[in-house]
Amino acid sequence: MIEFSSLIAGATLVLLLMVVAMRGWRASRDFDEPQLARCDEGISEQCPEEFVARIFSRADWDFVRGVRCRGIERLYQRERRRVALVWVRQISAVIRRVMRGHAEAARRSKNLEVSTEISIFAQYAASMAVCSVLSIAIQMAGPLWLGGLAHFAQKLSLRVAKLQESLQADVLAKAAGSRAA
Amino acid sequence: MLTQLIWWSSIALEIALLVRGLRSQLAHRLPIFYGYITFVALLDITRFLFQRNSQVYPGIYWGTEFLALAIGSLVIFEIYKVSLAAYPGAARMARNALSFVFLTAVAKGLADVATSGGWQPASTALQMERALRTVQAAAILALVALFLVYSIPFGRNLRGILLGYGLFIGQRVIVLTFMPPQGHHFWFYAYSWVYVVTLLVWLAHLWSYERCPQPRIAVPLEQEYQTIAAATQRRMQAMRVYVRKAVRL
Repeated sequence: MIEFSSLIAGATLVLLLMVVAMRGWRASRDFDEPQLARCDEGISEQCPEEFVARIFSRADWDFVRGVRCRGIERLYQRERRRVALVWVRQISAVIRRVMRGHAEAARRSKNLEVSTEISIFAQYAASMAVCSVLSIAIQMAGPLWLGGLAHFAQKLSLRVAKLQESLQADVLAKAAGSRAA
Repeated sequence: MLTQLIWWSSIALEIALLVRGLRSQLAHRLPIFYGYITFVALLDITRFLFQRNSQVYPGIYWGTEFLALAIGSLVIFEIYKVSLAAYPGAARMARNALSFVFLTAVAKGLADVATSGGWQPASTALQMERALRTVQAAAILALVALFLVYSIPFGRNLRGILLGYGLFIGQRVIVLTFMPPQGHHFWFYAYSWVYVVTLLVWLAHLWSYERCPQPRIAVPLEQEYQTIAAATQRRMQAMRVYVRKAVRL
């Protein structure tokens, strides 16, 4: 019974993720393909940082919300989601290109190292997994939520780091005190 | 009737494959594969001649089946050798991947023996064949994965051999999981018909010799691997930093 219910749950989850991934893929395909191809040539040249910074930023959203029009808000959210998905596709295309370039060079190298190859492949797989997770998260919750989450995580990690520093300082002070005594 | 049809069509296709191989000079380029086909053709004829002798036939069947399996493993070795001849780096990775597959299989076999307290006399020839075919399937999967990762171009001929043999091994593993030890039933016919399909795939892909495409991008061979690997790792790292920064902005 437990196996059956977990099977149902697993299958439903997989189907749901597939639907979400499919919708994301279709949404990003609707965008201008030639633009994508040109942007794939090199992220730094074609997609300036100011442009990328705005995708996940709340500034535009705050402005649109200030207009107080539901139609514009919905249009903004839909378009921003599409732009974010295209950006993720560009990133994964560049990662794939880097890996392809490496494979084409490494396959003919006589002194290839297996451990280095495994490490590079692991990096590649991790990067592609990050892109997939980003794509699913953008499709499900939108780029603004993702930006907010990253911002929150950064704040949290800063707080943890500060706490750790103060704890360390405390321990060091105690140790110095006991040595002096 | 159906069995006879499968038998005759298999023998006819094997002979056609051999004739085409000799005429197109492919038999000289891929000697192990054509040796395997010759062996299987002779085996089919021998089995056909002894099919009504119930005392001799099981011995001939299982003896030749395992011999065919051993020669079949050499076909995988030939695919590896021919396709990766121009790519020493990828060949090195393939050697490691294949060693890993075979060592894992040996370790699993030893672990099974240790847990069951000795060799299982009850384990049938079908179970043994399934275990060996699974190792072959894993080896083919490892090779295909490497071919994909390193974008190894293999021409029409090698692609056909790999496709046909992969199809044959894959379906054999599945069929052996469900197949009862004796009798002519759905799984028996499924196995036999897929072999005919495999032969057709081979015949279509090995009708004539086709030169293997050479890589388009010329890479200076003197370029050190360490430099290439370091550059890739640097670029991957840069991409990760870029994504992290973009999402956090």
